[in-house]
Amino acid sequence: MRIELEDVRHVYAPGTPFEVEALRGVSLAVEADGVLGIVGGTGSGKSTLAQHLNLLLAPTSGRVLVDGADARMLKGGELRRRVGLVFQHPEAALFAPTVEEDVAFAPSRLGLGEEETRRRVRETLELLGASHLAGRAPHALSGGEKRRVAIAGVLAMAPEVLVLDEPTAGLDPATGEDLLGIVRALRDGGTSIVVISHDLDEVAEVADRVCILEGGEVRAAGTPEEVFYAHPEASLAPATVRTASILRDPYPEVGKPVRFEETLAALNGLLEGRG
Amino acid sequence: MTASRSLGQFYPVASPLHGLDARAKILATGMLAVGLFLVDSVAGFLLISAVVVLLVAASRVPPGTFLGFLRPVAFIVALTVLFQVLFSREGETLFDWGLLEVHEGGLAGGLFLALRILLLVSTAGLLTATTAPVALTDGIEDLLSPLKRLRFPAHELAMMTTIALRFIPTLHEEAQKITRAQAARGVDFSQGGPIRRARAMLPVLVPLTVGAFRRADELAEAMESRGYRGGEGRSRYRAPRFRARDAIALAAAALVVVGGVLV
Amino acid sequence: MSDRNDQGARHGGPPVVSCENLAYAYPGSERAALAGVSFELRAGEYVGVVGPNGGGKSTLLRLLNGLLRSDSGGVRVGGLDPATEPYLVRKRVGMLFQNPDNGLVAPFVEDDVAFGLENLGVEREEMRERVGAAIRAVGLEGYERREPHTLSGGEKQRVALAGLLALDPEVLLLDEPTSMLDAEGRAETLARLEELRGARTVLHVTHHLDELLSADRVLVLNAGELVADVPPERLVTDADLLEENRLALPTILRLAAGLGLSSAKPRTPEELAAAALRRVKQGVEAR
Repeated sequence: MRIELEDVRHVYAPGTPFEVEALRGVSLAVEADGVLGIVGGTGSGKSTLAQHLNLLLAPTSGRVLVDGADARMLKGGELRRRVGLVFQHPEAALFAPTVEEDVAFAPSRLGLGEEETRRRVRETLELLGASHLAGRAPHALSGGEKRRVAIAGVLAMAPEVLVLDEPTAGLDPATGEDLLGIVRALRDGGTSIVVISHDLDEVAEVADRVCILEGGEVRAAGTPEEVFYAHPEASLAPATVRTASILRDPYPEVGKPVRFEETLAALNGLLEGRG
Repeated sequence: MTASRSLGQFYPVASPLHGLDARAKILATGMLAVGLFLVDSVAGFLLISAVVVLLVAASRVPPGTFLGFLRPVAFIVALTVLFQVLFSREGETLFDWGLLEVHEGGLAGGLFLALRILLLVSTAGLLTATTAPVALTDGIEDLLSPLKRLRFPAHELAMMTTIALRFIPTLHEEAQKITRAQAARGVDFSQGGPIRRARAMLPVLVPLTVGAFRRADELAEAMESRGYRGGEGRSRYRAPRFRARDAIALAAAALVVVGGVLV
Repeated sequence: MSDRNDQGARHGGPPVVSCENLAYAYPGSERAALAGVSFELRAGEYVGVVGPNGGGKSTLLRLLNGLLRSDSGGVRVGGLDPATEPYLVRKRVGMLFQNPDNGLVAPFVEDDVAFGLENLGVEREEMRERVGAAIRAVGLEGYERREPHTLSGGEKQRVALAGLLALDPEVLLLDEPTSMLDAEGRAETLARLEELRGARTVLHVTHHLDELLSADRVLVLNAGELVADVPPERLVTDADLLEENRLALPTILRLAAGLGLSSAKPRTPEELAAAALRRVKQGVEAR
């Protein structure tokens, strides 16, 4: 499934003193596989953008296309099932008495039958490494555990695209790392994933494609290498790229590494070769 | 991102009403409220309605915002009026469709009731829109403090009100976030009859309530850490001053009420 | 196994905070949150506290300001026992919490900053001065009548900080004050803390190790036990320490460690690149 935003504008509260143009003509594509990293800070319009991917919000102007056709042609609710949107701090919406029941909430409304729903819940909990939490009460879990359960709740709909808004927000770095590992595993399993984050380092580690959103507009889009090395300044590139790009000038053999491991290898190569 | 005003939220503008002492306003509102339920004649209603409209104008709060206060109540008002109109048997019969009878008394009673409720909500809205939350709760505490001698928890009540007012917009935003998250999981809030819609609210109300309790715990910790231990020995940051204009406002409110009831 | 308890006696004088065999278990919990922790803080020390989740860090802070009462063992803060005299202890100890929203009590910023002073019964004139000074100190002039829900996370934490500073505490307890903030909010909050710390004694619980590079010492709490009390440099050099306690270095420090450049303690890519260039030059010169 390929989602395209075609010159999408979104204005909140039009015609009132509180009018805000959150998206000012955004065009981008979510491919059928891989991880798209959307980098944006507060005020960039990232949450508004996320909600256009499953048409929770409709564009004020411009179109959202699914596999080439206007998304409005789809039956109401279909897009919300095929595109799973996980909001920031999703654990705030956990409400069932047990983890199992909460994760079953979304799939149970899809008319799959009890057995199929239970199978989905089991599989999804396993993917998220949360099978052992099935009978527990959601509010008694740790922050990281709750986050996994919340993501499982959306993933259980078996969406073709999973959108994660700031997936590691508020988690300690080690737990955040674990979660990114799960994101990679899901990507390898075939789900198309969109990670929205203000953390450049995090996006650098998981993204196959990157899009930088600023003030409601797309500032840059392409492969991580293309995007980050075009603007190696502090606000637009991860620490790895910023370090490597300083060293590239005198020593071009450093190349253009983006991820941590490849950057470490490149820099070690430099120190051993020349040092 | 919503910038909408929650029900009765403070509207920071300079106006004659904003400048009045909170205690005077609370008492005046109380008097008007009582008056609204004692008034019984058309002339009396016209008088009080005119006064309320004048006050809304004087408050410099945009009329649109005011109508926003009334929207949540509109449904209840309509329902109540309908009941009155359909089930009262007072006065002459105006329409008769078999089981359904509409009498003059029912119509008048329904209209008066509707007007009472709307005016009451408007008056309360005027109070909270023109009075800063802390000033409001300080005012409540001051007015109730004589009752402290009778072990009435005036300070605690005021503190509870302050906290409630502080968290209304926060909880409102939280409710919106949760609603969106559940919509993304397939809950359709717009479909079905009232029972279905009420059940759809469960996935929002439960986490909202659980979250609110957690907030309460954290807030309690923060308050205690900052030395809070009840009202004993506390001083006040804000300095309310009861001036001539406040006394005049009170007297005016009393006159309006008396006038409305007697007319 | 190298020595992990090199408590440097950098600061003299009697301890401001001292814990002896402190133990606590949450009611209904099988495992102890703190299983006998002992350490001392001297006046003016800036001490970090790190460790995996559930390790007891937050519990420790709450035992220090009397929000919790220990099951056994002793605590003394400024010579007082927080369990029996919490009100007095809280006059000297200020705590900054993780969730910026749930610490703000009043509907306006200036009323919230005044809250602690009101609790102490401070006179109105003096309150106005102290509130004004605190708001200026955190750079929030003009925000006096703002409502909390209109503020960013970083701004909310600054309001909370102003509220603490208005009370002028000797000891600051920081419970992961930046973990719910975005990068901008983190930088803001940390900058103010650095600026306004003064001569206060600080205990800073965090997961972001780069926040502790200028600390005097770092305590490592794991499963309720104090497993290490080390200078911050050890966080960068001791890989075992990091791994055993689920501690994660930020990218620049991790790169530095992998390149053998930890001693340069680089904080930014520029510093790391400079250190790498120096190493390359040394290598060239050595030939």
